[in-house]
Amino acid sequence: MQVYLPIAEMSVDALLLLGIGFGVGWLSGLFGVGGGFLLTPLLILIGIPSPVAVASGANQTIGASVSGLIAQWRRDNVDLRMGVVLLAGGFAGSLLGVQLFAVLRRVGQVDLAVAVFYVVVLGIVGMLMVRESLRAIFRRRAGIPAGKANQHTWLHGLPFKMRFRKSRLYISVVPPLAVGFGIGILSAVMGVGGGFMLVPAMIYLLGMPTSVVIGTSLFQVVFVSANVTLLQAIQVGSVDIVLTLLLLAGGVAGAQFGAAMGARLRGEETRALLGLLVLAVALGLLYGLVRAPENLFALGPAP
Amino acid sequence: MIRGAVLALAALLALAAPAAAQAPASTPQLTADISTDRVEITTGFTGASVMVFGATEHLLGPDSGEDVVVVAWGPHQPTIVRRKVKVLGFWINGPSATFPEVPGFYALASTRPVWEILPEDIRRTARLGLDALPLRAEGSQAPAFRAALLELKQRDGRWQEYATPVQVAGGRLFSARVSFPDTVRTGDYRIEVLLVRERRIVARQELFLRVDRVGTAASIASVARSMPAVYGVVCILLAALAGWLGSVLFRRS
Repeated sequence: MQVYLPIAEMSVDALLLLGIGFGVGWLSGLFGVGGGFLLTPLLILIGIPSPVAVASGANQTIGASVSGLIAQWRRDNVDLRMGVVLLAGGFAGSLLGVQLFAVLRRVGQVDLAVAVFYVVVLGIVGMLMVRESLRAIFRRRAGIPAGKANQHTWLHGLPFKMRFRKSRLYISVVPPLAVGFGIGILSAVMGVGGGFMLVPAMIYLLGMPTSVVIGTSLFQVVFVSANVTLLQAIQVGSVDIVLTLLLLAGGVAGAQFGAAMGARLRGEETRALLGLLVLAVALGLLYGLVRAPENLFALGPAP
Repeated sequence: MIRGAVLALAALLALAAPAAAQAPASTPQLTADISTDRVEITTGFTGASVMVFGATEHLLGPDSGEDVVVVAWGPHQPTIVRRKVKVLGFWINGPSATFPEVPGFYALASTRPVWEILPEDIRRTARLGLDALPLRAEGSQAPAFRAALLELKQRDGRWQEYATPVQVAGGRLFSARVSFPDTVRTGDYRIEVLLVRERRIVARQELFLRVDRVGTAASIASVARSMPAVYGVVCILLAALAGWLGSVLFRRS
């Protein structure tokens, strides 16, 4: 069943979009991430123009994360103060990121920039995740207790300290602001919520307790991707609501199956699998960049 | 469709009448119409085709020496052609050429190839043939960009040259199909029907066609363009609502 996407100005098989939404939703339910990092490359792969894929991916992330946020909020697992600080950085970052995106679009390098961002970010995050989880698995097998997460580093020497009661932290606001800022830029250029980067950053960089990490990261993701959606709609005009809703329809259903299955897996194993998946996406995109293109020429609308 | 058929019938009746009894002015050499003057892009749009048809006074074909040419023009769509270059092992977009005057859609069909029936200068001024389009480039002037433009535009169906023939029935009735791909742009389209005799264009008729989004697709696109901030907020709320709805549905089951 073909459906016409009014902003992308093309028609796509609706069942294909529902299927992609379902698959990505299933994985995101399984791993507890938004899944934007899988969705945007897949959309580009099936021929959706990069700007539309990025903007609609960000829009889809809102829907995919909002139900998780509600659930975490009910369980009181959201550090609101930390979330707001992250968000302040995130808004500034996404504002800059969307400007960067508009500039890249003008010079005709959007596809390259999106692909390079993906390869670099996913490559690094994937490797770190695989390494960390393998280490945890070996440690468990050998029976060595895990090391202490909250070590005192130079990060704790920075000024503007603030008390985050729910996270049981008394740290400078500079690191959370910087983390939020960086992820804001990435989410604007890559069309992702950034949960897969934010969660490790909160655990390892900020030293937050795992119980509040998921809820707080979802809080940040929902609002940053909402900001990106709004900015992309205004500045680039590339949010396709028909595309978003089709993806969400599949995604919401898929996420439920994934979550049910994820509950049966061990934390380290889940993280190792997610790390491998992230790495696979990075390698696939890298291959697309170095492979000789079928056609050297490409058409585009003149600015 | 019916209106066109009636017209064609009227033209036939006129032709059937004794030629001597009629003044030249009242006998059109060429009458043509299209099956619809509006192509609607709906939510289920996958491309469309319109039928251009009509009748001529004299017999068509190589024997009588009359030919019909049908050419369809879409609105202007300045197009940029980018070439990929290899930099440090990566393929990135390199030099580009901008073609400011090219039509977004172009389709040419005729009973015989135009170069056989018209002299080159007339063919060029009437812009009959892809190579007769105003392919003036800004930026890189390398001929490869022009060739790539022609190739890619033909591949996705936005430019067509003799893709479908003009069919002739009974010597005087002709019909041609103009197909629009799903990537067709909205706007006003012009279809010219030309009658060619003795290497000259002896009659021409212009038909007009509008391609429009209708229904949901139209309202979404127009809101997104005219009120981007409102559209963005609505997108956010709809996505959030869909996510919330999903979690509620799941909890009940």
